[in-house]
Amino acid sequence: MINSKVLVIDDEVEFASTLCQRLKLRGIVAFDVHSGSEGLVSLVKMNPGIVILDLKMPDMSGLDVLTKIKEYDPTIEVIMLTGHGSTGSGLEAKEKGAFDCIMKPVDLAELVAKMKTADEKRSKV
Amino acid sequence: MDAGMENSIRQEQIESFGRLMAGLAHDMKNHLGIIRESNGLMDDILAMGASGEDAKMVERLQKSIAAIERRVVLSAKMMHHLSGLAHRTDSPLSSFLVNELIEEEYTFLERFSRLKQIGITFELRDLLPAVYNDPSLLQHIFYRVYATCLDLLENQQKMTIATVQEGKNVVIVLTLPEGVPATDCEVFQEKKLLAAIDKINGQLKVVEQGHMEVRLTVASLPLGEQTSFNK
Repeated sequence: MINSKVLVIDDEVEFASTLCQRLKLRGIVAFDVHSGSEGLVSLVKMNPGIVILDLKMPDMSGLDVLTKIKEYDPTIEVIMLTGHGSTGSGLEAKEKGAFDCIMKPVDLAELVAKMKTADEKRSKV
Repeated sequence: MDAGMENSIRQEQIESFGRLMAGLAHDMKNHLGIIRESNGLMDDILAMGASGEDAKMVERLQKSIAAIERRVVLSAKMMHHLSGLAHRTDSPLSSFLVNELIEEEYTFLERFSRLKQIGITFELRDLLPAVYNDPSLLQHIFYRVYATCLDLLENQQKMTIATVQEGKNVVIVLTLPEGVPATDCEVFQEKKLLAAIDKINGQLKVVEQGHMEVRLTVASLPLGEQTSFNK
């Protein structure tokens, strides 16, 4: 059971919306947006507890969005999605406060497991 | 054009190629991500409504969905390694683990041994020290040595690829079966291959102990040193 609302931010519209549908089928309250700037607006509107964030987006980099999310509310847990083979960007994201990083294409079971751990962490705050 | 300029252009050419491959791998992973999620959604929907459907049809669909999932996972792994391989040219000198470098490159070399029906066994030692060197150039050298070894072998023969530690160095050992003629070792004396090995301060030895062993020693370069490609 995941109590936090989940926001998916990814410029790949089909990917984000399908992932969202699959999360909803598992009883998770999830919604998707398709740019970094839309994501930041949604923080205020939707009040998510967990954000699934793509590292590479055209309007803003995932790392910049991550920084702004953490400035807005440090208790929001961010799971980064990365398509890169090199782990450098993943390490940088963790240094900036990301909860964890997952390689694309996503293994849903792995993602949900990480979301559960993030949700448990939030419930202890 | 002097040799320095020529080398510099060649280096830029390799970097451009690396960036193009990295971009391709990134886009392919996005496509695979969408295929995987769409396939997963079909599976979810099918699982929810399975009781009211023709059981055999559901089973067939689930088999196809599982096959798509398996292929996506395999393709994604290849793309992950392609992306890693492409990014090796980003920083000409870096610290890396030789085992990781071999595993990454073998994703692409595997088909050469498969086509020639050569069995490859790995014995990569755990906990080897990281080395500071030119990973892209080492992958090029490993490819050349590996391809040369394959040329020396007949169909159905086997080769072992191992890594061992010798002092602070890591040695990649390719062991060929008995019966490969020692005279064939001369193919490893090719000038460009030896020059490339020299550039990474490496060493290549061919040892005969009943069977042939090709030993490529990889040392760390002093910090701050540049290979001649980058000078």
